[in-house]
Amino acid sequence: MNLILLLVLVIAAGAVLSVQAAINGRLGQTVGVLRSSLLTFSVGALTTALLIFFFEPAQAVSLLDVPKWQLTGALFGVVYMIVMVGAVPVVGTAVATVAVIVGQLGMGMLIDNFGWLGNPAIELSGSRIVAMALLALALVFMYRSNTRTD
Amino acid sequence: MQASSIEGVAQARPKKNLLRLLLLPLVILAGMGLSVEAGLLGPLGVQVGHLWATLSIFGVGTAILYVLLLFSGPQKGPALTDLPRWQLIGGFLGPMYVVVLTLATPHIGIAMTMIAILSGQVGKSVLIDHFGWFGTARKRVNVERWIALALIVAALVLIARG
Repeated sequence: MNLILLLVLVIAAGAVLSVQAAINGRLGQTVGVLRSSLLTFSVGALTTALLIFFFEPAQAVSLLDVPKWQLTGALFGVVYMIVMVGAVPVVGTAVATVAVIVGQLGMGMLIDNFGWLGNPAIELSGSRIVAMALLALALVFMYRSNTRTD
Repeated sequence: MQASSIEGVAQARPKKNLLRLLLLPLVILAGMGLSVEAGLLGPLGVQVGHLWATLSIFGVGTAILYVLLLFSGPQKGPALTDLPRWQLIGGFLGPMYVVVLTLATPHIGIAMTMIAILSGQVGKSVLIDHFGWFGTARKRVNVERWIALALIVAALVLIARG
């Protein structure tokens, strides 16, 4: 698929995620994180199932055929949620957000570089390291902008 | 399926103690887990189809959360059916995000996917804050946030060009 098109799609997905975070943040405050997450996940599962019924072409390999470790993705999401619920009140939202992004990108670079989990290997280049530095700087600006508007 | 929500960077509560230092590596690990999740999704989507890979996330997640909820006792707050309808639409947005994740990671890598997601989040959150959409408090978007957004886009361009 066209690289630029794919990038635009991913950026749009980030925007969608941001809308979801805004909606779910409010929901979580009123009904609790567990219930709001369960709602998100179950509606997500139902929607995806409907889409599969009507639009997914038949696949040669099913979810039951792949190695079981490939199905553990959701565990990481749930663990993330639990850690954040416990940690955010102690370390503060700002520090927690930065720590998550550091972990996310660090691990992302590692998986890319070594081609872990069956992913194509993308070597860690000079421009990738510079990009990391720019992101770190961006986080500093985000942090400063939020402490100022408070 | 969650990702870091950068729009929540406000209200830092200073509480300096040992617990804080101990928790920090845990939070970083949790963030690493999100990349592992994305790393699992891409190859899975190639094998079984993107929607099936997405269903694996939401199906397993629903099962775990349901059990957790059952064992955590009565919940505080109003019933879900008493809430304004629009607050429930978050569930439709999640699958869009996960499908795009499975589509993108095999082609552009996990780090670039994460940065692109981040730029979309920051861009959108700037708009949400600016206009106070979805019942959030309306905030003035200052120069720093625009600079942050520009830096993230610059990082994206750098990685895209390799």
